[in-house]
Amino acid sequence: MKHRIAIFVLGAAAMAAPLLAQNSPLPLPAPVEKELAARATNVTEVTLDKNMLGFAAKFMNGKDKDEAATRQLIEGLDGIYVRDYEFDKPGQYSMVDIEQLRKYFETSEWSPMVRERERKTGESTDVMVKLVNGETHGMFILDAEPKELSIVLILGPIRMDQLGALKGLGGLGALGNIQSDTKSKDKTGGDH
Amino acid sequence: MDEFERELRQAFERRPAPPGLKRRLMEQRNRGRTQRLHRRVVWGERLAASVVLAGVLGGALVWRHAKEVRKGQAAREQVLTALRITSHALHDMNARLAARNSASQE
Repeated sequence: MKHRIAIFVLGAAAMAAPLLAQNSPLPLPAPVEKELAARATNVTEVTLDKNMLGFAAKFMNGKDKDEAATRQLIEGLDGIYVRDYEFDKPGQYSMVDIEQLRKYFETSEWSPMVRERERKTGESTDVMVKLVNGETHGMFILDAEPKELSIVLILGPIRMDQLGALKGLGGLGALGNIQSDTKSKDKTGGDH
Repeated sequence: MDEFERELRQAFERRPAPPGLKRRLMEQRNRGRTQRLHRRVVWGERLAASVVLAGVLGGALVWRHAKEVRKGQAAREQVLTALRITSHALHDMNARLAARNSASQE
């Protein structure tokens, strides 16, 4: 009898595991993040899976243009993972930390969209997209400034025109233009 | 006729009440009163229990709804925070790219 129960429990766990894995495609925090969080003076962490995004979408005001656009955008997403570390002085993180972060999130599915480095200031931005059948199904942004480090991972189908509609959210309106900007820069042979 | 008169007389004859009749009647009356009172108390208790239950259920629903709204608002705030951070990162990148472009054009 005990064996049967054990087999049943194992079977149920085996069947539930892929389902759980599908429900939470968001990665676990990278090991280096713990150290960064310890050094930072201000840490913002946002982890929202598909369920939470759907839940949040219900509370978006449909009358407000920006919120309606945000709602439309997040309803189709699988998850949002954002980490923002603010430091009181420069030099609180190294390029090794940045590389570790990049490697942690970077997989073969991601293709670089923008890779921008500022040698003087040490600022850098990486934008990578996950393309599935020519459509954007994920976006990873790693923005490193002397006193701030931001990691953004958006999973799920992202329509650039929807992002472009979010003009009320500061620079997000510019997101829709990234692709065209990048293409034009590629044409001119600019190395970022 | 005599027979009829006799029966009539017997019928009208004053007889003493059976012993314990008054007590039985009083008991019956009291029993009825007690039963009615008990029924009323039971219904009152049921009504009070229903009101309390409805209150508890209503309160739980209101509390749950308020909790859902709080969680929803928090999730909404988190989404907006995430988008603001994304926006900030991209805005900075765009500004740097624009500055570099203008510098290279000059």
